[in-house]
Amino acid sequence: MENKKDKPELTFADLPSGRTFRPLELAVTPELVQEYMEVIGDHHPLYFDENLARKYSLPAPIAPPGLAAIYARLSYLQDYTMPSGGVLAKQEFEFHTPAQVGEILEVKAQVKESYLDEKGRKRVTFFIEGRNKQGKLVSTVRLSAIWPK
Amino acid sequence: MLKKVKVGDLLPQVEKDIDQERIWRWANLSKDYNRLHIDPEYARQTPFKGTIAHGPMSLAFLNELMMKSFGLGWAKGGQLLEVRFVAPIRPGDHIRIEGLIKEIEIKDGQKRVVCEMTIKNQHGEKTVVGQGIAFWPMEEE
Repeated sequence: MENKKDKPELTFADLPSGRTFRPLELAVTPELVQEYMEVIGDHHPLYFDENLARKYSLPAPIAPPGLAAIYARLSYLQDYTMPSGGVLAKQEFEFHTPAQVGEILEVKAQVKESYLDEKGRKRVTFFIEGRNKQGKLVSTVRLSAIWPK
Repeated sequence: MLKKVKVGDLLPQVEKDIDQERIWRWANLSKDYNRLHIDPEYARQTPFKGTIAHGPMSLAFLNELMMKSFGLGWAKGGQLLEVRFVAPIRPGDHIRIEGLIKEIEIKDGQKRVVCEMTIKNQHGEKTVVGQGIAFWPMEEE
């Protein structure tokens, strides 16, 4: 397996409070959902059963909410690689409107907080929003990490 | 989905075997190729002494438990709060994803169900802790 190194590392110096990133477009394809289901072993029928989706008045099967764990990180790393040695300190999610399989999401990340703590560790908190093409909020994520360099 | 909810109930437990193959597949899915996760030789020389699973994969497991328990009451309005990674999950680990209902309150005609969530390894050690909040329609009971 290769470690992609064609992009610059995202360092603490690149992460001042308030910084925003180019929006990420994420296509929630059936293939992506299928691979997620297989890797996690989460085969909830709402992810693929169209009849069940209709029963709940949904126009289509929904994306696993846990996909947010993937696109949250990608939203600030589209143009960078993550330097080794970071620690994911805390993460919080709120799910609003379920994303549907087949939709394209727009995900925007902003650095909410960036500072050195009392031990000199580089602390960064991102606030990330995913929306569908109608502009409806799908998820909000707050992610705090200790940055390695 | 759960048939009913009350304080003190355990959510239906989910168990997983973690191996390096699953970690590699998550790396490809999430595009997270940190060598600590994917390169056993490199990882052996770090303080972790071997590869560890990606933190966000644990979040996906917590999501699975809440979807299994609450369905749309999780996907629409659910919150996963204060998630902390307290110990690494390693290849070879057998983990249990657990939830305990701590509190229920009525909000907007639904039950707001607060769950304490934990992922434990085969030694009973906590690896991930957090709080999940889901909604339960009143008419279900």
